[in-house]
Amino acid sequence: MLTLGVALLAVGGLYTVFAPQSQTAHAQENLAQKNPTQKNPAQGDPLVRQGEQLYNNACITCHGVNLQGVKDRGPSLIGVGQAAVYFQVSTGRMPATRQEAQIAQKPVSFSPQEIDALGAFVQANGGGPMVPTSSLAGGDPARGGDLFRLNCASCHNFTGRGIALSSGKYAPAIGDVNPQQIYAAMISGPQSMPRFSDRQLTPQDKRDIIAYVQSFTNAPNNPGGYSLGGFGPVPEGVVAWIIGISALVAVTLWIGAKA
Amino acid sequence: MSGDGGSHGGPVGGSTGQRRPTIDAGLSTSSSEELVRLGLALDGVTIAHREDPFPVPGTRAEKRTERRIARWFIIAALAGLGFLAAYLFWPYEYASPGSPGSRHLLYQLYTPIIGVLFGLSVFAVGGGTIAYAKNLLPHETAVQERHIGGSAEVDRVTTSAILADSGASSGLGRRSLIKRSAGFGATVLGAGLGVFALGGLVRNPWKGGDHAALWVTPWRSDNGEPVFLRYDAEQLTLARPEDLAAGSIATVFPYKRSWSEEEAHDALYASDSPVMLIRLRPEQAAQVVQRKGQVDFHYGDFYAYSKICTHLGCPASLYEAQTARLLCPCHQSQFDMLEYAKPIFGPATRALPQLHIGVNDEGYFYAKGDFIEPVGPAFWERRS
Repeated sequence: MLTLGVALLAVGGLYTVFAPQSQTAHAQENLAQKNPTQKNPAQGDPLVRQGEQLYNNACITCHGVNLQGVKDRGPSLIGVGQAAVYFQVSTGRMPATRQEAQIAQKPVSFSPQEIDALGAFVQANGGGPMVPTSSLAGGDPARGGDLFRLNCASCHNFTGRGIALSSGKYAPAIGDVNPQQIYAAMISGPQSMPRFSDRQLTPQDKRDIIAYVQSFTNAPNNPGGYSLGGFGPVPEGVVAWIIGISALVAVTLWIGAKA
Repeated sequence: MSGDGGSHGGPVGGSTGQRRPTIDAGLSTSSSEELVRLGLALDGVTIAHREDPFPVPGTRAEKRTERRIARWFIIAALAGLGFLAAYLFWPYEYASPGSPGSRHLLYQLYTPIIGVLFGLSVFAVGGGTIAYAKNLLPHETAVQERHIGGSAEVDRVTTSAILADSGASSGLGRRSLIKRSAGFGATVLGAGLGVFALGGLVRNPWKGGDHAALWVTPWRSDNGEPVFLRYDAEQLTLARPEDLAAGSIATVFPYKRSWSEEEAHDALYASDSPVMLIRLRPEQAAQVVQRKGQVDFHYGDFYAYSKICTHLGCPASLYEAQTARLLCPCHQSQFDMLEYAKPIFGPATRALPQLHIGVNDEGYFYAKGDFIEPVGPAFWERRS
């Protein structure tokens, strides 16, 4: 009995000595060695530790123990940066519920603080683009509109209504998003979206684009009072004809009836 | 003047001829009331009933009605003034939602305000007019006699005789020189007008032989001068490899240093010049299948394809960075960027033409030649 107890204790003791050297910890060291320029000052950062905890609970199944990705489940997260994490998690797209053509927006699973922690953890392992913390709304929505129509409108439509892509994928309508999410999408290129580096669209360009996007999302820019789906002159003309002409006919009939 | 009877015919012709009162010499001395009655009688109109809403002028009821109608016109004037003031002084310039004060709200109200005021002004003018017609104009019922059926036999026979007589008396029937020369002149004039109207629409697409507009694009360079890839930005910006992150797309246009501002502008807006510069992700670039004869057209991970869909010429630029597929929004053609932009779905049947690109010693992208096939939709004379 005593021997069994001693043996159990010894096994337990051995476990506590070796177990904390988990695979993720190894991975971080390996990464740090592979990228000597990518300093890992966050190693002891409590935010990164919290992020690692959250990652191990929610993301590890598809993205792998070393963020290297799992074949047919999820892509590698090395180098995607905090921007990608922020966009995917803060719009509720991650954690995904199932594999499908497109991961859709859904209610958010993490608190803003937890999203920061996850972002810090991924950023600490391979770096990548980060969302600036400064103000992201530019001052020139007209210029942003030009850039939006050149770079974004082919998929998202010039009033941000989105469009279908191939095989069930789609460019989502730009609706309830904050400037950080728009910025993060541009620099990280989520799902089917191409990336727009800072040399292709400068940070100022991006801020102006955000100002333009806000002009139709934040407070609907509908001088007529109703956007009619934002599809431009065709539905607007149809409605003007149907409602306008009906009203004119009705008034004419009324005047005739009163005569 | 010939034919006194004709000139007296008037608009109602002979239909009321029997009833027409004789016009006596006292016409100029008649009162205007008599003249009105005479005019109505000439047209066969009888006033069956006429009632002035206010037979006694200046009553209180009449004044009240006048004021009510005047109110409409005053509303029209005030709304019109308000429209002018809003049009001139309202802050109409776009203000973003976060701008200080209520500037965004004021901007949003601009269109409704001028619309409502202008509409109210027009509506009130109409309302006042209708109110005047209903309340102040006399209520009357008038009857006009109309004849039944066609004209009288004698009218028809004489009219055709008069027409035949005027034709014969012009002498055209026997003056064939005049007839023919006039016909010739009119024909040539008509043909000239037709050419004038349609001539501007006729273009010869084959003008220039092998350099005809259908065969070449602004990417062509005859003297070996490099054609750079530029962005459509406020300032001229040439494309460089470091501009694009992996998995991104940019639309670029041709630019030659020797071009004047106007030539550069024309090339920027030419329908066959937009090119998509795509940088594949490294793992995608490893699996690219090149097209025969275009193996060296790319530069590293960078591939440049015409943006003009080979189906009907829409801008095909919906790029899926993950699958490296490109979609055309018009008819859902899909092109596989990993296999020389070959069409894999939809109505397009030919691959997007690929532009041969390289990087010069200054680090700028340039085209090493025009497209090797015509850009855009098919046409009969295409050789490929």
